[in-house]
Amino acid sequence: MKNFQIIRALSSGSAVTNISKESSAMFIAGGTNLVDLMKKNVTAPDKLIDINGLDLKKIEFLKGKVSIGALAKNSQVAEDSSIKEKHPLLALALAAGASQQIRHMATVGGNMFQKTRCSYYYNTDMPCNKRNPKSGCGAIGGANRMHAIFGASESCIAVHPSDMCVALAALDANVLVEGPKGKRQIKFTDFHRLPGNTPEKDTTLENKELITSVEIPDNNFTKNVHYLKVRDRTSYAFALVSVAVALDLKNNVINNVRLAMGGVAHKPWRLTEAEEFLKGKTVSEEIFKQAANLAMKGAKSYGDNDFKLTLAPNAITEALTIAASK
Amino acid sequence: MASKKTDQNKVTENDSNSRRDFIKKSGLLTALAFTPPSLVMASENKWDEKIAEYLETVPLSIEVNGKMHNLNIEPRTTLLDLLREQLQLTGTKKGCDHGQCGACTVHVNGTRILSCLTLATMQQNAQVTTIEGLSKGKKLHPMQEAFIKHDGFQCGYCTPGQIMSGIACIKEGHANSREEIREYMSGNICRCGAYHNIVDAITEVKEGGKEL
Amino acid sequence: MSKTSNINRVDGFAKVTGSATYSAEYKTPGVVYACLVGSTIAKGRIKTIDTKKAEWAPGVLAVITHLNVDKPVGYQKAKDKHNFGQPLQIFKDDSVLYYDQPIALVIADTFERMQYAASLIKADYFKEEHSTELKKAADKEKKVDTDKGNDYHRGIQDGYKNAEVILEAEYTIPTEVHNPMELANIIAKWEGNKPILYTKSQGVEGTRKSVAGVFGIQAEDVEVHSEYLGGAFGMGLHTWPYEIAALIGAKKLNRPVKLVLHREQMFTNVGFRPYTIQKMGLGATKAGKLTGLTHEAVAMTSSYEDFMEGTVNMSRFIYDCENVSTRYRIIPLDTCTPIWMRGPGEATGSFALECAMDEMAYKLNLDPIEFRKLNYAEKDLEQNKPWSSKYLLECYEGGMERIGWKNRKNEPGSVKEGNWLVGYGMGTGTFGCYRSPTSVKAKFLPDGNLVLQCSVNDMGPGTATMMTAIGAEITGLPVENVIIEMGKSGLPKGPTQGGSATTSSVGSAVHDSCNLLVSKALELATQNPTFKGIAITDLTFANGLIAAKNDNSKSIALTSLLAENKLEGLEVENLSKGAEEAKKYSIYSFSVHFVKVLVNPNLGKIRLAHVVSCADIGTVINQKTSAGQMYGGAVGGIGMGLMEALEIDHRFGRPINNNFADYHVPVNADIEKQEVFFVNKKDPISNPMGTKGLGETALVGMAPAIANAVFNATGKRVRDLPITLDKIIETVKV
Repeated sequence: MKNFQIIRALSSGSAVTNISKESSAMFIAGGTNLVDLMKKNVTAPDKLIDINGLDLKKIEFLKGKVSIGALAKNSQVAEDSSIKEKHPLLALALAAGASQQIRHMATVGGNMFQKTRCSYYYNTDMPCNKRNPKSGCGAIGGANRMHAIFGASESCIAVHPSDMCVALAALDANVLVEGPKGKRQIKFTDFHRLPGNTPEKDTTLENKELITSVEIPDNNFTKNVHYLKVRDRTSYAFALVSVAVALDLKNNVINNVRLAMGGVAHKPWRLTEAEEFLKGKTVSEEIFKQAANLAMKGAKSYGDNDFKLTLAPNAITEALTIAASK
Repeated sequence: MASKKTDQNKVTENDSNSRRDFIKKSGLLTALAFTPPSLVMASENKWDEKIAEYLETVPLSIEVNGKMHNLNIEPRTTLLDLLREQLQLTGTKKGCDHGQCGACTVHVNGTRILSCLTLATMQQNAQVTTIEGLSKGKKLHPMQEAFIKHDGFQCGYCTPGQIMSGIACIKEGHANSREEIREYMSGNICRCGAYHNIVDAITEVKEGGKEL
Repeated sequence: MSKTSNINRVDGFAKVTGSATYSAEYKTPGVVYACLVGSTIAKGRIKTIDTKKAEWAPGVLAVITHLNVDKPVGYQKAKDKHNFGQPLQIFKDDSVLYYDQPIALVIADTFERMQYAASLIKADYFKEEHSTELKKAADKEKKVDTDKGNDYHRGIQDGYKNAEVILEAEYTIPTEVHNPMELANIIAKWEGNKPILYTKSQGVEGTRKSVAGVFGIQAEDVEVHSEYLGGAFGMGLHTWPYEIAALIGAKKLNRPVKLVLHREQMFTNVGFRPYTIQKMGLGATKAGKLTGLTHEAVAMTSSYEDFMEGTVNMSRFIYDCENVSTRYRIIPLDTCTPIWMRGPGEATGSFALECAMDEMAYKLNLDPIEFRKLNYAEKDLEQNKPWSSKYLLECYEGGMERIGWKNRKNEPGSVKEGNWLVGYGMGTGTFGCYRSPTSVKAKFLPDGNLVLQCSVNDMGPGTATMMTAIGAEITGLPVENVIIEMGKSGLPKGPTQGGSATTSSVGSAVHDSCNLLVSKALELATQNPTFKGIAITDLTFANGLIAAKNDNSKSIALTSLLAENKLEGLEVENLSKGAEEAKKYSIYSFSVHFVKVLVNPNLGKIRLAHVVSCADIGTVINQKTSAGQMYGGAVGGIGMGLMEALEIDHRFGRPINNNFADYHVPVNADIEKQEVFFVNKKDPISNPMGTKGLGETALVGMAPAIANAVFNATGKRVRDLPITLDKIIETVKV
């Protein structure tokens, strides 16, 4: 790892000011992903701005929404009793990610910047447009078992690996950021982007902006929710496919529904068409299967990940069934 | 061989080593103003190297197993390497160095974390507990005793991480069933495959109800 | 049950307190840090290697490549053959034989500086076409040029083809990697011309010989410490290039050098279980009698060493069958050389054989255990010898009862628990019982403690605990009074730890030396006035007390006896060997693994709801550590069955999942319910204790048990490991 300077930010304003001065500076919070990437020489900042001293750790229940500080730890949110009660889908998704040790370190804001687990991205000897633009995509025609079936491009078929983000996408969360130009709010579903010709850009965040919190509007998804994570071992593995389901049921009729998938695209993949289809329908396996098939429109596989075309709709049906039966 | 040496002698300013790049970027002149004169005096040869070395480190105060350490470390030093290579506390193990195995689990301010993904410099004034800090002389921690009794290991290499994680697992309230223990201990890989016995050990300690 | 039959691991205190010292953890004044930089191509030659930036980086003490290395004198010896045991000669020349082959050694004063400097090294290559895919290199197939590489035939060659019922099937296992938790590591230093290694070796004496060969010195001049090993599972059976590199670096700098491989390098540089394709041909009568069995294997090796293992051997003797043929071939590929991995050969072979047996049982509409019982081998037909002991039937019975075999239905997919499909499966394992000549010194100290010395290692199975148990049992001393010194050179020579032979070899030596030592103590006692006129045969020794059998009043403590004779101790060093009698018998351990799986066919999820591992390993010296080893071997087999596979991107000839996040091994949550059952009956022939060996059989047979259970649950026969979810969902119709 290259050596670097590190400074501790005292306020979000000063953090942003500091990072604006340096071309190769980065924020560091939990560091679980960044330190890993620095060890692999995938990322080599000259300067780190340690933002852990900032007052951004609180979980606050405000009128009409909950505000989760960007520096709240994954485990802190997953085990917060009010989160568990009001947004159980988020708690479930968080608990499905990584290991407890990592959840104790990783922050909500940091998790949103989690880099893909694509092997070609991690290995600096390999072609990867995301790491090294215009070097080619190793995964296309290569080992792509983990890779995208939705929204990929000829430049990149990597997937976003976060579990938390899948739940936040489903829950219509908003991201609050602070930058050199001031504060702004980004819809969570707009926060991550598809690769297109510029896979090096994971998010729509502008240069030098700092996430300060994530807000989730109040909802009725307190009971019939499920986060189904399908992976190669029972725990401590990245998702091949994951499904976040939130149902608002009244007498077995779907009043409202949210559906999102992980492990299938460059961003958390919201299944809006399937949601629309399900609204107003009575719960049944047949309906769930139809919704799953709708969700698969436009899916495309790349060889090793062909199985996802079968697995993904199965997982959607399974997750809906489990959520409905709770 | 000979030609290679010649090449080296021709190093130009452009491909000079990274240290000089680093000094440039950190603002050498500003930095020099704050450098103790003794340091400059002491470094007649390679003065730039020595100053760079000084500038490349940061002070760190950290408490490990109840003992305070005041150190100067490079920012890139991880807590794991600090423990193992500088403080000679080799009980904390390096199994993967990338947060993929749990062998390096320690407690920081009472919470289990992975020391391999933790920059030591970010643990200013933290209280760190490692496996060496659990026992009081020959008197073992209940979790250590339980691991011996239930043979919760073979080679012993993942064991410090398992024990630190096991204690935390109970303290966090995640040891209420074998199933829950299995899930919350899944961040600690044991290649010898002692999982069955590890769960036995944690279950016994949990049921023993001793304060940990 | 004796007092030593369930003792705690004697090195437990050291291991739970972090005070056990593994190789790279020796506190070594002046130690500097080294790492290896690997090639980024799989085959070719190094055109240029730019080490300049690294050499100029802060703290760097040396960068060694093929251009500036002082080649060890042993490198001069020509290699005319590809015999196994001649590893890659590191930095010998510009050739690149596999991806991540070390091309430079970087040494610096701190770990961080060393790591950074290594990242600055860049090489250019003359690339050559590489070959890393077994299935596409059939033209290079060859026999191994040793006796063991010969084909085997009994009865009619490929006689299965004449049978009433025929089964032919092909099975594949991928490359699997040992991946002990402790990274391969070494601290190397020199005192004059004598090297000192603190290294991860499963055989101290073997490492001494290898190092001596490379540096042209005597094995006796090589000092090796390998007192604690954080697992190895076979990867410590070779002296690897990284160890030689550290020694080269230490010699150049005349300083101790610490070198720890990265986890990534553990997949590319220290061996693996070879990718193997097996063809099975089984022939049987309609009534279920096996009449023919052909087992063929084609396995990968490296381009520079011919590695082989006993993949097809089990098929020659485990079942009663008249016509048996086996063939073993290798294909050199551009990778590092494989090395025996737990249950070497048999683990691979049993997957093919035991799956094929299951498939044949279905063809015959027989219960798989019934089918095996119909073909139970009353003697070893390969060697035409009687078994020394065989309690395989007891393993079947013990497992069937515990797993609930009676709930199994032969019809696949016919048992359900909620939405889960339920399946039961079993697989048989076996491994030969070997015994190597071993020296052990047993010594009574003036304080009454017993010291046992042997250079053998303990990589985790509990060798020290086994030695303690046997020593305590024979001398009658409490286990607390037994001190073990092991895992380093300079001690009486022990064997390499491997092949499930350690207890048989070292345990026997402890047994013999302790008996001799007790006799020596008793002899000394007969000269003591206390026992005047009492014959040695009328004396007993227990708890440190020598007493007359027929007269309780006459006794003397060993400590007093030593003191009275002004002795600093009493010792015996003895070389223990197997008896000739044993050669008349076929001596094998047997195991049977049973699993109950729950399968969600929609998601391909396989849960191991219950795992029962049964074994006939002769006498169980220590229930606790043996059970631990059995649990662990079973977990290793679960990894093999469900998740382990090194994936290669053949376009680049390099692995793409060489890390612990992407190469999956089982985690705690994968292991739901596990049981172990030992028959625990003494083998009358194997060795004085009657043990037969455990480490390998603990794993052998697990992978086929899982595959067979998955078939029973789903009707889906997976013949290529691992059984990942994609192989289940593809064809299961719901």
